[in-house]
Amino acid sequence: MKVSFRINNDLSELDTLFEQLQTLEHRWSLSRRTLAELNLVLDELITNTIKHGKCHQEYPIDITLTKTGMKLTIEIVDSGLPFDPTLCKLPDPSLPLEQRKCGGLGIFLVRQFSDCWNYTRSNNLNILTLQKTLPKEHR
Amino acid sequence: MEATITKENNATIFSLNGRLDSNSAPQLEKQLQDFLTTPCSHLVFDFNNLDYISSAGLRVVLNTAKAYKSGQYLFLTCAMQEHVQEVFEISGFDTFITIHRSIDESLSALLNKD
Repeated sequence: MKVSFRINNDLSELDTLFEQLQTLEHRWSLSRRTLAELNLVLDELITNTIKHGKCHQEYPIDITLTKTGMKLTIEIVDSGLPFDPTLCKLPDPSLPLEQRKCGGLGIFLVRQFSDCWNYTRSNNLNILTLQKTLPKEHR
Repeated sequence: MEATITKENNATIFSLNGRLDSNSAPQLEKQLQDFLTTPCSHLVFDFNNLDYISSAGLRVVLNTAKAYKSGQYLFLTCAMQEHVQEVFEISGFDTFITIHRSIDESLSALLNKD
């Protein structure tokens, strides 16, 4: 089962992302919780892509979700400036308030709610692939 | 996402509605501006009607907590939906942010403080 859609490199497109994912809730029998996790993972990655893309021009971001049994594979492809989110330094969630900084939290959440990921740069494209195993309730 | 701001007893309540992501967080930041520069009452974030939060939203909450940390007024949160609370807990935010179950619980806690 495969779904692909395209959005622009604009934060307002996060609403489009949500709408697209909502259609999968019924089609792929995803739980509310899984949908929320998926939304969060894609939101954080796309937000980073847009913020670090640094292009003062419009370019598309292509998202593909593939469901094979209990495994979900997500691919995000964009033509922005080279940006590898897997290299971002993660925050320490055990630090007290005074020491907590704002950076890296998005990537941290992506890591928490996905199993593994891989970044490549090819033909001037950023290609990020993520895997997420669906919980037992989807059987 | 525009918060509804109300006052009750000794507290200002921000009722957050809908979704708080990198697109809508700046709007909330704008509403909070004066409250963060010059806190003049206790502050409560009511999450009852918030369906979704991303790191951009967490950042706003973090900055609010920092602004209220050393002053005389308290910053509390309440009524988080399950997956919103999960995001807070996974990020370790529940260690320095008070999360009450309801707005009544928050307001009672504040009345006992003054």
